[in-house]
Amino acid sequence: MIEVERLSKRYGEVSAIRDVSFAARPGEVTGFLGPNGAGKTTTMRILTGFMPPSSGRAIVAGHDVFTDSMEVRRRVGYLPENVPLYRDMTAIGYLKFIADIRGLRDGKRRAREVLERVDLLPRANSRIRTLSKGMRQRVGVAQALIHDPEVLILDEPTIGLDPFQVLELRDLVRVLGRDHTVLFSTHILSEAEQICDQVVIIDRGQIMAQGSPQALRSELESGRPVVLRVEAPLDEALALVSALPEVERAGISADGITATPANPEQDPRPAIARAVLERGWALNELRSVAVTLEDIFLEVAGSHAPSEEPSGEAETLADLMEEDEVSHA
Amino acid sequence: MHSILAVFRRELALYFRSPVAYAIAFALLLFLGVLFNGFIAQANAALSFGSGIPADAGFAPNLLTFLMFLIAPLLTMRLLAEESREGTLEVLMTLPLHESSFIIGKFLAAWAYYTALLLLSLVFYVLQSFIGVPDAGVALGAYGGAWLYGGAVLAITMIWSAVTEDQIVAAFLGSATILVLYLAEIAAIWIAGQGSSSLVADFVRELGLQAHFSVTLAQGIVRAEDVVYFICVIIGALFITTRLVETRRWRA
Repeated sequence: MIEVERLSKRYGEVSAIRDVSFAARPGEVTGFLGPNGAGKTTTMRILTGFMPPSSGRAIVAGHDVFTDSMEVRRRVGYLPENVPLYRDMTAIGYLKFIADIRGLRDGKRRAREVLERVDLLPRANSRIRTLSKGMRQRVGVAQALIHDPEVLILDEPTIGLDPFQVLELRDLVRVLGRDHTVLFSTHILSEAEQICDQVVIIDRGQIMAQGSPQALRSELESGRPVVLRVEAPLDEALALVSALPEVERAGISADGITATPANPEQDPRPAIARAVLERGWALNELRSVAVTLEDIFLEVAGSHAPSEEPSGEAETLADLMEEDEVSHA
Repeated sequence: MHSILAVFRRELALYFRSPVAYAIAFALLLFLGVLFNGFIAQANAALSFGSGIPADAGFAPNLLTFLMFLIAPLLTMRLLAEESREGTLEVLMTLPLHESSFIIGKFLAAWAYYTALLLLSLVFYVLQSFIGVPDAGVALGAYGGAWLYGGAVLAITMIWSAVTEDQIVAAFLGSATILVLYLAEIAAIWIAGQGSSSLVADFVRELGLQAHFSVTLAQGIVRAEDVVYFICVIIGALFITTRLVETRRWRA
């Protein structure tokens, strides 16, 4: 369990993170999503007891990271960004070293167990410098797992891996999420969407949105335009759709006709389908424009920019963000 | 305790695997051997005139302590600078151990390697005892003193490894610091010659390394104050190093 309350970190005048609040539950993978420099690493460093916050509170595995740092460090497994390892040691030697520092009994056996878990036992006696990037990453994960921690914090574990290794690592994280609290940072949105039960979006040091990928999507999908393709003259179809009370406006796009709903709460698709079928036309396609985390992220981050003109879409987004802020206050 | 031991073991293994450590041992023994050879030749020449010269039991420890301004920075420059640059310090600092544990572990490993060097240099005492009668008491004082002296010097040079991420810079600054402390006696003589109060001169001399070694321990004179001086320097330097590493949490 990780509970973060109004956490801030300032470097002189510059705020690295501001009033960050979120919670990560056991048995779930929480994705910490944001562009580079958004404050992900800073937050994670505070949560692992590497550095103290300027203000705010964070409880990790039942202990305060500031007042009870040693207890937190005993219960957290941490994989820092760029996976720092001692290159001159063998994989098994390194893990044994970490086990010894942590005071684990039977360090050698633990080291072998975690190496097996990350599927690296055949290379146990290779020097870390001779291992591939993906293997090193797995040694880093093994290091974070060696004491079977309650909480796992992984800072961009998939960065720099080839697609195959990325898939392997995602699988591993998903499996680990079943019996640990996993906080996992990434700037790749599809990744968060695939493996996370909960997503926390951070940008410029502030939490922009949080929730399950599905919830975030459905929240944004309401009010999204719908696209339809009809076997009929384009201008007649356009006139028909535009005239519907459920549709605010309609236009022609590359996909067909794009219609914006008048009321974001109400899906215009049933009305459109009925109207088209009443005219006896064939309805080839009718769908809501799919929302990916990519869209959510771009909109959430984009609306934060001061130059953004208020538009219909931005309003719904502003609504979303207000809700978000209220829930944190 | 287990974490100090784990760090100590890792660092010591690293010394005995690194070519630098062997190069230092080789260069030291070569240098001492050449000088020893000259020393024997001199003794032989004196003998041909019918007068012997006494075997200096402190031969190797004296030279070793002098050379420490070169050796110590080479041994300690890596200890913290490399961890900091490679980012492995972040892992250590998020493990459940206090900074002082891994700093003590690293220091003890450097000191243990130095102890091995010192034991190697015992070979000259053994040779001396074959051809002459070196004073065993002087040898005991000189070797024991050189051991403490080395610990103090290693602890001081290690501070610089915590200050900078650049090993070369750490080595240079360490070397300069030790040279200054080594030459404090000369500075003290100069200050005394300026006619100012002898208190300042005494203070500077007592601050230096040589005042606590060359005229006392190296002559077989064991004074409590010298032993206390070296132990205090070790503890003080380790304390400063710990504090410097701790500040990384706030600077990071």
